[in-house]
Amino acid sequence: MSTDAFTMEMLDVWKRPEPPAQQVETGFFTDTTLCIGCKACEVACKQWNQLPGDGFHWTGNSYDNTVSLSATTWRHVAFVEQFPLDGGGNSHAPRWLMMSDVCKHCVQAPCQEACPTGSLIYNEFGNVYVQQDICNGCAYCVVACPFGVLDRNREDGKAHKCTLCYDRQKDGMTPACAKSCPTESIQFGPIEVLRERARKRVEELHGRGETDAYLYGAEASGEYSALNAFFLLKDRPDVYNLPEAPRRPVARMRSNYLSSFAAAVGLAVISAFCFAKGDK
Amino acid sequence: MTPATPVFNQATKDVVKRVTPEAVREEGYYGLPMLKRPLWGWEIALYFFSEGISSGAYILATMADLCGSGRYASLIRDARYISLAALLPCPPLLIADLGRPERFHHMLRIFKPHSPMNMGAWALMGLSAPVTLLALTEFASLRWFPRRVVGLAGMPFAFFMLAYPGVLLATTSIPVWARTRFLGTLLGTSSMATAAGALAIAAALDPKSDEETREVIHRIENITNIAEAAALSAYVYSAGPAARPLTKGRYATMFRLGALVVGIGLPALVTVTRRKPGRGATIASGLLSLAGALALKWSVVHAGHDSALDPEMNRYGARADSDNPGWRPGTSVRTGVMRARQLPG
Ligand code: SF4
Ligand code: SF4
Repeated sequence: MSTDAFTMEMLDVWKRPEPPAQQVETGFFTDTTLCIGCKACEVACKQWNQLPGDGFHWTGNSYDNTVSLSATTWRHVAFVEQFPLDGGGNSHAPRWLMMSDVCKHCVQAPCQEACPTGSLIYNEFGNVYVQQDICNGCAYCVVACPFGVLDRNREDGKAHKCTLCYDRQKDGMTPACAKSCPTESIQFGPIEVLRERARKRVEELHGRGETDAYLYGAEASGEYSALNAFFLLKDRPDVYNLPEAPRRPVARMRSNYLSSFAAAVGLAVISAFCFAKGDK
Repeated sequence: MTPATPVFNQATKDVVKRVTPEAVREEGYYGLPMLKRPLWGWEIALYFFSEGISSGAYILATMADLCGSGRYASLIRDARYISLAALLPCPPLLIADLGRPERFHHMLRIFKPHSPMNMGAWALMGLSAPVTLLALTEFASLRWFPRRVVGLAGMPFAFFMLAYPGVLLATTSIPVWARTRFLGTLLGTSSMATAAGALAIAAALDPKSDEETREVIHRIENITNIAEAAALSAYVYSAGPAARPLTKGRYATMFRLGALVVGIGLPALVTVTRRKPGRGATIASGLLSLAGALALKWSVVHAGHDSALDPEMNRYGARADSDNPGWRPGTSVRTGVMRARQLPG
């Protein structure tokens, strides 16, 4: 690279081009009661986004051999097999719960709030997106996300996660996972439409006697915002390896700063007194 | 360009180690963690250690300059040198820690008060100018240089550098860092104690320093040690079970023996047993506080790894309470609210 090109690239990151026009906010509604565990979403995601493999590991404890989301796995189907072990525990009939996990595209996303480079943004569809030309791999987002979604790739040193198929959406296409899902367990669309549909679905299930159905992340709860990729679940969140009540890290930032600064300034003042007084 | 053997990411390695047929009986989801392991290691531990000495020495030097009415000239000079020497390794350590070191300047493309890491990058920039200027003018003995004004101008940056490391760690989802309001206080007071320890060593070695200087810096060292002990108790008490990776885990020995005994206990013993410690005792106790602070920062940074990979801790960190009910079966309320309530503080 010539020196000029190098300088241009260094300076490029301070440019502020006109952002694209705001579009209707989109998201995913993942209805886990429809999931059959075919993993078509995992495959479609890997294929469209050209994500490399993560090796092959038999877990030997379920059909879940993907195990978790990572920098190179942006959809992960969880398999929960609830057969009363040792004759106790579960009150319901034996069942399989399957859930296609993904980045939750939080309305107020801790990863976005933490990112020191401004690489993580909300794009024009209201989706949380890592700008690959900006990310410098500081890994703050990795520890900020309360769902353990983000991860840094060893090969390129940058953070990666579900883009909600930003490239496909720009061309008016459905994200690859939702497109490939044969049961419409993964539904894509304007977030308002999805939320309404999800509420109707919960009512319908409750009417059928499946009163354990509920929505995870369709609305804000306490200090945490709603999720633009939300779920219909049938058991406690930790059964699916989801946090029951995620916390928003910046919610306590101000009071942390306050007690920390108070101690620093206090010690400085005391030392000033000591210096003024001398050894008397 | 796929390499012949795939390069596994840390997260994949972490979970693959845990998946066994026996895990079917584990609580939660096959005993797997919810969170990802922090990717910060020795670089960040050393950075927190070094920048703590630098900013602490800066604050002490400025205070001595402003309030000492002309005394402590040798201490101020030593402190300015120490501040610069401790600041020099900071940028390389931070850059080495990045996934893309050549993009370090991307930290400075925005100003983002929400992100302690972004603010820290700016504060490091802001502090490096006065630190360098003051050390160089001390070296050249430039009498006309307005060192009090420059010293005062750098104080906000120095305070920020002293106070922010713990806040940076606490503004995450890792329970051992986040489930407390005193991590910033703990790391900040520890930084002040290391700076006082380093200055005490310098005062003991510097032939130009006098009895009064040694006496005063020794007193400050004691006070900062007491403050550190108080902050440590506040942290352990407020974090409760979330502090387990530090109090019972792999880093328990380093945390207890290093931070508590070596860093706080032994230097206190030196003070208690000798009314006016001699040169050897001062140097020894200063070195002990330095070693203790390094152990503290090392174990706090690394305990984050254990905290993230412990599923029980993950569940504890995200448990529901009345302020933050979360989403559970039977909690379907229809508020229609999408954004979380205003930041409580
Ligand atoms: S789930 Fe995690 S990675 Fe996804 S938007 Fe929320 S905080 Fe960011
Ligand atoms: S790793 Fe990249 S995306 Fe994540 S916080 Fe750092 S700069 Fe932002």
